[in-house]
Amino acid sequence: MPYNIAMVCDFFFPQPGGVESHIYQLSSKLIDRGHKAVVITHAYKGRTGVRYLTNGLKVYHVPFFVVYRETTFPTVFSFFPIFRNICIRENIEIVHGHASLSSFCHEAILHARTMGLRTVFTDHSLFGFADAASILTNKLLKFALSDVDHVICVSHTCKENTVLRASLDPLMVSVIPNAVVADNFRPLASTASNLDANTFPGEPKALEPSHQRLGPNDTITLVVISRLFTNKGTDLLIAAIPRILADHPNVRFIIAGSGPKAIDLEQMLERNVLQDRVELLGPVRHEEVRDVMVRGHIYLHPSLTEAFGTVIVEAASCGLYVVCTRVGGIPEVLPAHMTVFAKPEEDDFVAATNRAIAALRANKVRTEKFHEQVKMMYSWTDVAERTERVYDGISGVLSEEEFYGQPIGWSATKGRSGAQSFALIDRLKRYYGCGIWAGKLFCLCVVVDYLIFVFLELWAPRANIDIARSWPKKPPAKAGISNADGPVEVGRRRSTRRDHWKGNPIG
Amino acid sequence: MTMRRAPHKNRNRSKRRDKGGWKKLLWVKQSYPDNYTDEETFLDHLQRNPRLRPYEFWPLVADSMVIVQQVCTMIIFVCCFSGIIQDRVSPVTVVSWGTLGTILGWVLWDIWVGQEEALKATVQVEAKPSEDTPPVGLGLQLAMTSMSTTNGSPQKHHSRQNSASSSRLGTLLDGKVAPADAKGAGPTYSYYPPFGVTASRFSPRNQQRLATLKSALLIYCALLGLSPILKSLTKSTASDSIWAMAFWLMCINVIFFDYGGGVGGTNFPASLSTNAALMASTVLASRLPSTTHVFSLTLFSIEVFGLFPIFRRYLRHFSFPGHVMVTVALVVGASAGTTLSMGSGGWKSGLAGVVLGCLLTSFAMGICSWWLIGLQRYKNEIHGPWDPARPIVRGT
Repeated sequence: MPYNIAMVCDFFFPQPGGVESHIYQLSSKLIDRGHKAVVITHAYKGRTGVRYLTNGLKVYHVPFFVVYRETTFPTVFSFFPIFRNICIRENIEIVHGHASLSSFCHEAILHARTMGLRTVFTDHSLFGFADAASILTNKLLKFALSDVDHVICVSHTCKENTVLRASLDPLMVSVIPNAVVADNFRPLASTASNLDANTFPGEPKALEPSHQRLGPNDTITLVVISRLFTNKGTDLLIAAIPRILADHPNVRFIIAGSGPKAIDLEQMLERNVLQDRVELLGPVRHEEVRDVMVRGHIYLHPSLTEAFGTVIVEAASCGLYVVCTRVGGIPEVLPAHMTVFAKPEEDDFVAATNRAIAALRANKVRTEKFHEQVKMMYSWTDVAERTERVYDGISGVLSEEEFYGQPIGWSATKGRSGAQSFALIDRLKRYYGCGIWAGKLFCLCVVVDYLIFVFLELWAPRANIDIARSWPKKPPAKAGISNADGPVEVGRRRSTRRDHWKGNPIG
Repeated sequence: MTMRRAPHKNRNRSKRRDKGGWKKLLWVKQSYPDNYTDEETFLDHLQRNPRLRPYEFWPLVADSMVIVQQVCTMIIFVCCFSGIIQDRVSPVTVVSWGTLGTILGWVLWDIWVGQEEALKATVQVEAKPSEDTPPVGLGLQLAMTSMSTTNGSPQKHHSRQNSASSSRLGTLLDGKVAPADAKGAGPTYSYYPPFGVTASRFSPRNQQRLATLKSALLIYCALLGLSPILKSLTKSTASDSIWAMAFWLMCINVIFFDYGGGVGGTNFPASLSTNAALMASTVLASRLPSTTHVFSLTLFSIEVFGLFPIFRRYLRHFSFPGHVMVTVALVVGASAGTTLSMGSGGWKSGLAGVVLGCLLTSFAMGICSWWLIGLQRYKNEIHGPWDPARPIVRGT
């Protein structure tokens, strides 16, 4: 069953970043699977109105007041009229919000529930519970997620965190990891071999030993690509670099990225006179990351907190051995033979790096196999497939028992199988539990939101809103789908078409 | 696709036994649904209140005395001001008593610092030298800084630098080893003449005392010179505004005061708080009739807000009974002062005020401590793997 999905987030292209590319990749894979996806984000400088990206992905850039680091000002209600218009125009059935710092997404979830749409929220980050900023964010998240149909987290640690922060039932939180476009992160040798013989992607590598074996005196290059912030562990890196370089004469560093800690890093290099052994590249674009990575043998990831850590998957895909700190969701991401874990301590980090260098020198690590392995582990197609199952579950296509793994049983707030009731009184019950004062405040917000909705229905009736014509699509390519699925795919495609013909009033 | 993931929990359980079960990993394709929650490992690493240190009643009461001291100091200052402006007390009396007290405090402080130095020296001889030599001569430096921020005349700046450099010199000469050298130099460096300074005939301690004396003299002269300016500083401002402003500045002083500061830690005990108090006294002083009044009140405020906190800090560090005694004295003084300046006077009403004040203060201290201990029940600090790790970096 194809869905019309609206991805709502403050963060989207042209701004680069992990959340942005997640939304883009997921949307385009969902489109490939026969769904319709639009992205709603705020207007960026020089980019307003409606844009189409590759694959017919439609992006709405809504003009909005941006407060801080591309996050819009949380106004709770002001987004509603235009959001309602977009949803009706695009026949939206599911609203999928991303990133917990995006107030756009929280507002969209609230309004979507008021309009009677299904909502999904994807959390991409970890938050603590101690400082004032986190407490405020968590309260807002609790508000937004009181009435959400399903939540997706990028790692199990992230799931635990989100469940605690928003007081959710763990069963309504799915873990669907990020993925990488493995073809964009090929190791050097494999690109060469693939160019040689494109027809047999597996074979040339078997014929060709390809990877140079490292001798005891060959130079090993360690790569670091990260924004140079405190929470990315730059202090740890600054402390570790001189010790690693002192231990190993044939080791070089390549560090890419910029940030407030860059000055400390440069000072450390000058103090220890290491400029000729450490290359600072400054900020690199995401497209260039692979070209930097393939210059090295080991990727160092000293981050102090990380929900998923896409960059270490990218590094492994490029055939780099990964040294990383055991924090957040990182231990879940890669298998043990690709990584060396360290505690977030200087001594242990240096020791782990030494172990990695020794293992590489002993040729114990088969880095040339990493690319194919990572390709098997993470793909956006798989992510889209799993996300689709979430959509099936919340819209009642899957039975409650099938989706939740156990009968949930009757409760006041749940309606029919696996789907949350839209009745206002049920929604108010969910919001009321948010806190002594907050609960009442949230209920007030929801009631006002509902009144605005009623007003909008009268003021700008649905009948007067044009339905957008959807992007003309080729039959979806059935890459990697078994033949048994074929008829289903065709049927799905047809129904999509029919819907759209029906939906076009002007023709 | 859905077939792949086992839907039912019970079936999951049986599978768990068969295939080694669910793993908290993302890179393996598992036969569990994405929203599967493993009851055994879910929130395994959650820690609640890991560093909870339960408060005890009496230590808490003892700690709350620091706050009481500061509040009482403030009240006493206000009482003195009201006495001066109502012509009940002569400003010269106030400042004379204040100065007497300050000199007494300074002598005590000097003795304590000497003791600490001696102790440190013996420790240094015995073991590796510790890194922090206590900053000495800080009191006047602080007062001067505050003064210059309050009114910022060129003369002030000059004198401040003078004082700062002289006290630094004092540190250098006095502290056996300069802090920077403390690490590398062995215990043999008991006397380290700085570059460009010929050894003087005074011992380092005496030299530091001289420096302090010089700073004090400078402050005194500067204040004398500044008093006429201060007197007319806010002439164009209505008295109501002055009262309101002074009130808020004193609130800032009490709120932002560095209650936790120990000896030798930071040089400046919360400069915001000190500056607020000095500014309050400056604006209050401008309501007074004569230059002598202004001079006395400003000097008094420097003593009370700039130097007295340092003395109290050392007192708390060196002698707990002394700390308690000063607290009691301050409470008595503040309550007596309040009743005397509010009522028409008479020692009876003063006595009643003292009794009432003491009762009220001890009651408040007890109630607040008990309340805080009671509130500990609601403490719910959550830690887990999602918290940013604290990196352990050597050598910083």
